[in-house]
Amino acid sequence: MKTFILTIIIAATMFAQDVVELKQLNSNKVVIKLAFRNGSISDPKGKEGLTTAAANLITQGGTKEMTYSEIQDKIYPWAAGYNSQVDKEETIFTFAVHIDFLDQFYPIVKGLMLTPSFAENDFQRVMKNQQNYVDQVIRASSDEEYSKKSLEDLLFRGTNYQSMVQGKSESVKGITLDDIKKHYATMFTKHNLTIGIAGKYSDAFLKQLKADLATLPGAKPTIAAPGKAKMPNGIDVEIIAKDGAFGSAIFTGTPLTITRSSNDFAALMVANSYLGEHRKSYGQLYQKLRETRSMNYGDYSYIEWYNNGGGYMLPPPGVPRNSNYFALWIRPVQIAKQLKQQYKELADIKVGHAHFSLRMAVREVDLLIKNGMSKEDFEATRTFLRSYMKLYVANPSDQLGYLMDSKFYGRKDYIKEMDKLLSKLTLSDVNKAIKKYWRTDNMFVTIVTDRSEAEELAKSLKENTPSPMSYSNIVKAGLPKSVLDEDDIVSTFKLNVKNVTIVDSKDTFK
Amino acid sequence: MKTLMNIVTVLLAVVMWSGSLSAADKILPYPIHQKTLTNGLNVVTVQFDSPGLAAFYIDVRVGSRNEVEEGVTGFAHFFEHMMFRGTDKYPRSKYNEVLKSVGAGANANTSLDRTIYHMTGDATKLETMFDLESDRFMNLNYTEHDFKTEAGAVKGEYTKNFASPYQQSYENTMNTAFDKHTYKHTTMGFIKDIIDMPNQYKYSLEFFNRYYRPEYSTIVVVGDVTPENVNALAEKYFGMWKRGNYVSIVPVEPKQDSARYTHLQNGGIPPALSLNYKGPAFSDSQIDMPALDVMTTILFSPTSALYKKLVIEEQKVRNLGGGASDTRDPNLINIQASLVNKADMQYVKDEILKAVEEIKTNGVDEQLLAKTKSLLKYSYAMGIDNPSTIANSLCSYITLTGDPESLNRLYALYDNVTVADLKMVTAKYFVSSGLTVATISADAEGGVK
Repeated sequence: MKTFILTIIIAATMFAQDVVELKQLNSNKVVIKLAFRNGSISDPKGKEGLTTAAANLITQGGTKEMTYSEIQDKIYPWAAGYNSQVDKEETIFTFAVHIDFLDQFYPIVKGLMLTPSFAENDFQRVMKNQQNYVDQVIRASSDEEYSKKSLEDLLFRGTNYQSMVQGKSESVKGITLDDIKKHYATMFTKHNLTIGIAGKYSDAFLKQLKADLATLPGAKPTIAAPGKAKMPNGIDVEIIAKDGAFGSAIFTGTPLTITRSSNDFAALMVANSYLGEHRKSYGQLYQKLRETRSMNYGDYSYIEWYNNGGGYMLPPPGVPRNSNYFALWIRPVQIAKQLKQQYKELADIKVGHAHFSLRMAVREVDLLIKNGMSKEDFEATRTFLRSYMKLYVANPSDQLGYLMDSKFYGRKDYIKEMDKLLSKLTLSDVNKAIKKYWRTDNMFVTIVTDRSEAEELAKSLKENTPSPMSYSNIVKAGLPKSVLDEDDIVSTFKLNVKNVTIVDSKDTFK
Repeated sequence: MKTLMNIVTVLLAVVMWSGSLSAADKILPYPIHQKTLTNGLNVVTVQFDSPGLAAFYIDVRVGSRNEVEEGVTGFAHFFEHMMFRGTDKYPRSKYNEVLKSVGAGANANTSLDRTIYHMTGDATKLETMFDLESDRFMNLNYTEHDFKTEAGAVKGEYTKNFASPYQQSYENTMNTAFDKHTYKHTTMGFIKDIIDMPNQYKYSLEFFNRYYRPEYSTIVVVGDVTPENVNALAEKYFGMWKRGNYVSIVPVEPKQDSARYTHLQNGGIPPALSLNYKGPAFSDSQIDMPALDVMTTILFSPTSALYKKLVIEEQKVRNLGGGASDTRDPNLINIQASLVNKADMQYVKDEILKAVEEIKTNGVDEQLLAKTKSLLKYSYAMGIDNPSTIANSLCSYITLTGDPESLNRLYALYDNVTVADLKMVTAKYFVSSGLTVATISADAEGGVK
């Protein structure tokens, strides 16, 4: 016992442990988050996907004492759960258990993090799934997610931010079990860890957790500087052609120099919410494209990475990044092939709605840069955000996650600090920020579409051909003149397109 | 281990219990306050420790199940979109403006049996939420042009979903498994009907008139509120809502007499096998559905012999899962497997059936049954950590029976499930004549017998 105490003291003096605490005595559970400052940017060249493989093997494998199946058998009646999430710069392991079972669950947490078994059969299983994701799933299950990941591939090309966190077809094939063991020993260490804990835990428990995690590998990892988004020359479009697509899924991105660390972020947050708050009908993009013209299911804008936007209504924590970009998300719009089949009055069209919708979205940004927000819109949007942001942290796990992300950005409590910044903000601050940080002349665009649409769409974009909105007669008949007049302007709005490439789906992420 | 023994003891104790549930026996540790207004609108309040925050939900018991007429599949969902198109008092721009001022997370969604409208936000703005919602539920007023325009957004949603082969296969499965019942079509509806939606303006007025009525609806408020305040606001804002008189008659599905097959040719994703048996409707008094929940949890969890064999050891299957659907009318019990190699399709099906037969014949270990009951209860208990999750959960049971207490009754029924019940439901529902097999692979045919 004496030796044990001594060990803790020595460990504590050698390095400072980073801990975020959120004690909630009325909770019935404990959530532990272990965030390692090690994401896919630490994958060695040619081994992209290694961090994801290592994290998956830890959570989908066994420990020195127990096999994966034995762990599952043990935790089954407790409904305890755990998972890992890898992003570009951080890997987070989350463990959640009811307080009735915390003491029994903890040895498993400890075993997974400190003495993972890294068994060959678990490795085979985990890698098969990862290979399948990069080979097939990303291309075939959601064109929206596909266009978003392709945009990052284009925007960060040549940097350590380029690859999907799951890696690429070729790189995943080359990952060995030894690679994973080495990566764990050098990258998941006590020196790049932040411990987060929420719920009803005791001080003694936390003390034990800290002491145990102080025995993680002792190597001091060298984390490469995060790659920066490239500034394209003009608008650079990549069209990804695939078979059987029903629409055109569009994503755009242009470098953004600030993150949550900057106080200007609050101003940009107001502008972004006004332009295209995620999954809200208030945004200008949504109003113009979906509500007035019924072009698709929704249209939004982003000033930071939003993980799994198709799945979440509120931004999930755990994906902090230093390299940032401003993005527009235009959900799938109709293609010519479908429109021609559905409406005989559109029998002669060559291109669907992709060109028009891109013009309209970019023009909205352009108008905002030129004209700024009005006083009324500014006040309404600020009021909305000050209340809405509280929903980001409506449960203990997310509250803890946001506090941990705050540290990444050099803040203490991002939600509270943003509220304070928002309260002091002026219209002039917002309009200045828009002009300073947003641009429409240079951006990358990815469009995942049907093979039948690709050539004509590429031609239309390249030649800046007018793209009148092709409504069905039944909708067109009721549109007010103001809308049709605006359509005329949009149809010839000049996009600064300098390059258009068509890539076959099978050749993406190479 | 001691804790586990305690749970088993508690579970056994509950098995002995009969009669109405005491507060201690309820899975939801908070009282459910209910008040039915004279017009038939039920108002449900649950107080929850979420300072300054309240979730406001309205559950309308209309979904794609109610789409009984030819040519209007997908209409309940389409109508959900129309509910955001404004009233005289709050035209859509004004509605958005006021909603934005509330700072709430607000949206809606539709499924087979219900449509839910929800807002979660500042509890001090509860009256504004009531005002906004009561106005559109009573006074919705959209133009024919708005109606036609909104149909495009629905087509956009279909377009987005269609990118997933699994969604396409699900659509085929329902269409194949059902002949008469409206579960034949998905909530999105058939694409031909979606394209025709702009022509259905008159039907939309009829739809609103039929279903957007107090007797079809329940208000659920969870969070930093009191039942007294919620009930008073409900009376003030919804008290004058007129009861309707439409009774929806949904066709009864005839008994299926032989196995059915549907196949999607797609080599772009891993081969997939889905086995779908005709199951029962939800009930909070019959043992069948709770027993099926327990049985499928056992069969497909990572602790099952089947999972360990196919996923962990042989690694022929990537994912294995399944369960019975909680729906108002009998629906499918689904088993799905994502395969590594399409050549293993028949093998995987045979192995699943062998595991099912094993339960039919030999049941399961008593201790495993107790552990599974523990899993179900602790899963629920850990999940209810915010007002939205609780409101959503209550709505699930309101949808099924009209009564949120069904939640507590169902979890009490889990305690009553015996090994004999598991054998009984497996023998009753897992029969080849009630099976629909859906496959996805690069081949022209499914190749599964």
